[in-house]
Amino acid sequence: MEAGGEAAVVELRIPARPEYVGVARLAILGVASRMRFSYDEVEDIRLAVGEACTTAVEWAAKNQRQDTDVLVRSSISESTLTVEIIDDAGERQEPAESANRDPDPESLGALLITLLVDEVNVSSLDGGTRVTMVKHAG
Amino acid sequence: MTTHHKGGVADWAADDTETLFRKYAETRNPAIRERLVIMHQNLVRFLAGKFANRGEPLEDLIQVGTIGLINAVDRFDPGRETKFSTYATPTIVGEIRRHFRDKAWSLKVPRRLQELNLAANNAAEQLSQRLGHSPTVQEIGQAIGATEEETLEAIELGNAYDTVSLDSKLAYESESAPLTLAEFVGEVDISLQNIETYGDLKHAMDCLEPREKAIIYYRFFKDMSQTEVARRLNISQMHVSRLQQKALRKLKELLSE
Repeated sequence: MEAGGEAAVVELRIPARPEYVGVARLAILGVASRMRFSYDEVEDIRLAVGEACTTAVEWAAKNQRQDTDVLVRSSISESTLTVEIIDDAGERQEPAESANRDPDPESLGALLITLLVDEVNVSSLDGGTRVTMVKHAG
Repeated sequence: MTTHHKGGVADWAADDTETLFRKYAETRNPAIRERLVIMHQNLVRFLAGKFANRGEPLEDLIQVGTIGLINAVDRFDPGRETKFSTYATPTIVGEIRRHFRDKAWSLKVPRRLQELNLAANNAAEQLSQRLGHSPTVQEIGQAIGATEEETLEAIELGNAYDTVSLDSKLAYESESAPLTLAEFVGEVDISLQNIETYGDLKHAMDCLEPREKAIIYYRFFKDMSQTEVARRLNISQMHVSRLQQKALRKLKELLSE
């Protein structure tokens, strides 16, 4: 809980490489634990952020942009945690639509995120993507 | 789609998922259902794997996830423009998350952290009962006289070690061999051909209190002793025995309806 209703912001910048996703997961664990979330909710947030970072890192690899960063920005207000995952990993090409094939792990990851947090929004940036997720406590 | 004559496996064994779902919707043939469930085990494994760092054996998660999968197979309407995996994922994830809500933490952590983790675990269970919801880290920390950081460390390192133990043999040593759906269903002596009865049982199980359900699950689906279950749930063996009797009575009543 923060005094004065001002949101506190915690930013973490990780290299767009798989071995750093765990660092983002740990950091968000610390951030979310400062709020009135239960164990299970904290773990849900951690999983959601991990999935979003993994997706960003995978796009960086596909687009040969492993030298870029992923920014994980958490805004903490009294009862709401907003996490933005902002990458510079290039454009995300929509996978070819085929009615009968199961979705790839990436779209399952995106679906999983929607199940774990209260709101998700994905927007294209110039040369990257921003995923914004919101989780309300108690 | 043409309607197939009832008859051999050969009629549909080579069909793709979409065709199978259409046939299952028409016929409710339990053999087709079984096939659909088996075909989508990888989806359950994939999703269960995402939750594998929370201190529960992966095989347990696959097992509860499979319950979600079976429900999704039953409810899926192949006429709608949704892929099955998209439809089934929320159901599977729902069962897995419920499993975490329903049971206490497992404690496969080094001794140094074990005490604090255990204390946090006990406090979490007591607080859950008292508060009616899963407690926060702060609430647990207060209950065990530890700072937030200490509590978090116990939880966090517990998690970290569990991730390692899942990758190594430890998680499997304590469990029986990894379970397949067939073994899972076979253990309660209901064959896959007779899977409708299993559906009834599942429904009856849903009517139990979370702890009763956990006891039935561990005792009869996982073949654990009352003492082992007692340790898992952090209650006495007598208590397990009492809850088990009560749960079995309930199940009998529900299934004879």
